[in-house]
Amino acid sequence: MRKVIFATIIILILATSLVKNSTKELEDKIFMVNENIRPLKSELGDVLLEFNYLSSPDKLTKYQSQYFEKDLIKIDITKIKKLTKKNNHINVSDFIEKTKDE
Amino acid sequence: MNDKKNNIILEEYEDEFSYKKSKTNLNIEFNRIAFIFFVFLIISIIYSIQLLHLGSVKKKVSNIKPLIIKKNYRADIVDRNGNYLVKTVSSIDIGINPIEVIDKKKLLINLKLIFPNKDYIKISKKLEKNKYFYLEKKITADNYEKIMMLGDKSIKSEEKLTRIYPQKNLFSHIIGQIDDDNKGISGLEKSFDKKLKKIKEPLKLTVDTDIQFLIREELIKFHSIFRSKGSTAILMNVNNGDIISMVSYPDFDLNKRETVNDVNFINRATKGVYELGSVFKTFTVAAGLEEGLIKTDTEFLNLEKRLKCGKNIISEYDKKIPSDLTVEQILIRSGNIGSVRIGQKLEIEKLKLFLEKIGVLSKIDFDIEEVGEPIPFRWGKCKLATVSFGHGITTTPLQLAKGYAIITNGGFEIKPSLVQKKLEDNQKQKRIIKKGVSKQINEILRKIVTTKEGTAGFANIRGFEVGGKTGTAEKAIVGGYTRKAKVNTFASIFPTSKPKYVMVVLLDEPKTSKDYIYKYKNKIGSYKGTPFNTAGWTSVEVAGKIIEKIGPILATKYIEN
Repeated sequence: MRKVIFATIIILILATSLVKNSTKELEDKIFMVNENIRPLKSELGDVLLEFNYLSSPDKLTKYQSQYFEKDLIKIDITKIKKLTKKNNHINVSDFIEKTKDE
Repeated sequence: MNDKKNNIILEEYEDEFSYKKSKTNLNIEFNRIAFIFFVFLIISIIYSIQLLHLGSVKKKVSNIKPLIIKKNYRADIVDRNGNYLVKTVSSIDIGINPIEVIDKKKLLINLKLIFPNKDYIKISKKLEKNKYFYLEKKITADNYEKIMMLGDKSIKSEEKLTRIYPQKNLFSHIIGQIDDDNKGISGLEKSFDKKLKKIKEPLKLTVDTDIQFLIREELIKFHSIFRSKGSTAILMNVNNGDIISMVSYPDFDLNKRETVNDVNFINRATKGVYELGSVFKTFTVAAGLEEGLIKTDTEFLNLEKRLKCGKNIISEYDKKIPSDLTVEQILIRSGNIGSVRIGQKLEIEKLKLFLEKIGVLSKIDFDIEEVGEPIPFRWGKCKLATVSFGHGITTTPLQLAKGYAIITNGGFEIKPSLVQKKLEDNQKQKRIIKKGVSKQINEILRKIVTTKEGTAGFANIRGFEVGGKTGTAEKAIVGGYTRKAKVNTFASIFPTSKPKYVMVVLLDEPKTSKDYIYKYKNKIGSYKGTPFNTAGWTSVEVAGKIIEKIGPILATKYIEN
């Protein structure tokens, strides 16, 4: 009986150490990945900053007037339509329902 | 004695002849050694496990600890769609410690090769003073490499953080500025200074860059048309207080890092305290409805054309206004005397309590510290009369927007916010105004925009069900008011059937325009020139143009909101 208990304890300890070792390896890998992500994140931040600057409404309006002949127009919301699919049929309806006073 | 000796002999005898017992003794010794080894083995295994994973244990502990404020760290700020409004990038400043300079002449020659455009007479004088000074702030990578290659001990490099504002002027009043020591000195940079130094993720705001841009564009356009001193516009969600846009014009480019001392550059939306005029009449009517003292069809008969209260004479702006008006007509036609009568019915306490409840009387608790405080006053009979139609009472445009949001959203308390709240915070809604008041108010506000008698016809943009109230107020000067300087305001909500947004447009000291062509919304035709310097002909037109532009974006982009 004693031998069984001792053997179980030893097996459990060894198993724990093995599992812990493997998790340590995983942790190391995670650490490495995180370390690799860090510069990528910083690079992504810089690229996003550049993108946000170049695609800012102010810049886009300038590009529009610089490269296109036609001006941007306002969208009339009453002309926007809503498409809904029902039983393989597409229904077209007004996006905004007209009220009594319109 | 003899007995004892015999006993000993017997024991020795037993040991010699008992083979089994002798074996047991040897076993005990062997087991002891094995046991000690076993204990050592366990200890060594446990220790090795701890040793192997000491790093991970430490890591967990450090995760629990609060984040340490780093000197050179500041979180970015993004808008509601994740677009950068502020980004931190690190930069290097180059300084010189004259005490450590060995050969001044040689150093100056070398510096001249790297920075040929600098004033070297000044630099030479600075070197003489023996006091540390900055040679170049935010040095380029090329020049940094060149200057470090000199290997001069007196040249010092300091890593500093720089805030980049890709939207330039667009959010100048909201974001604010920081000083050279990474300390917020205005706007969100100041009020969220500690948080920005702690949080890992960017601070997410409620504002929308595209909407902000479009509103600012319109304000700039009309700034030149009406030649106003300044202007402001606030767009807020009436149901949760999220500010989608808050523009105050004139503004400034945050990237230039200039010290702004001109009062005209204040944040008019939050810091500007104004007498806003007739926009307050909606509050008087709402208070009357809340108290059950009036209904929208309650008639006020034989209303005087002029009222005298102390030294002041209260008269109607519109001379054609009838003497018999319902509550609804009083608000639609913006009747001063009718509003005074409603105010008198309410009495001081009830009107005061209502105005306090919707948060227009005291300083607002807001995300930025630059907020104005409404000027306190002593209530009396004459004050009650003037406050009823929005005179002799001041507040900020932000508080006006908040008040309109509460009286139109079903009577729920809201807290205007620039920073996105947690979902659960948005759901805690407390009703502070009786159910049903909003519906009645919203219907009247809609009629102000759609009917012939209403003062805000230019805001009747198809598809958005705009409702609102105008307010034209003369600016107070020493000893009275001046007709030359006005504050024209339009507080609008849309769509009136189920309000989502409140928008306040304020023009500070606008002038009439001779050439501007108005296009009627409630009838066919157009009109050239501004006939009257009133909100109906100025702020309403601006608000209409803004809604025309931003409306489709709001309706389609925030369809689920």
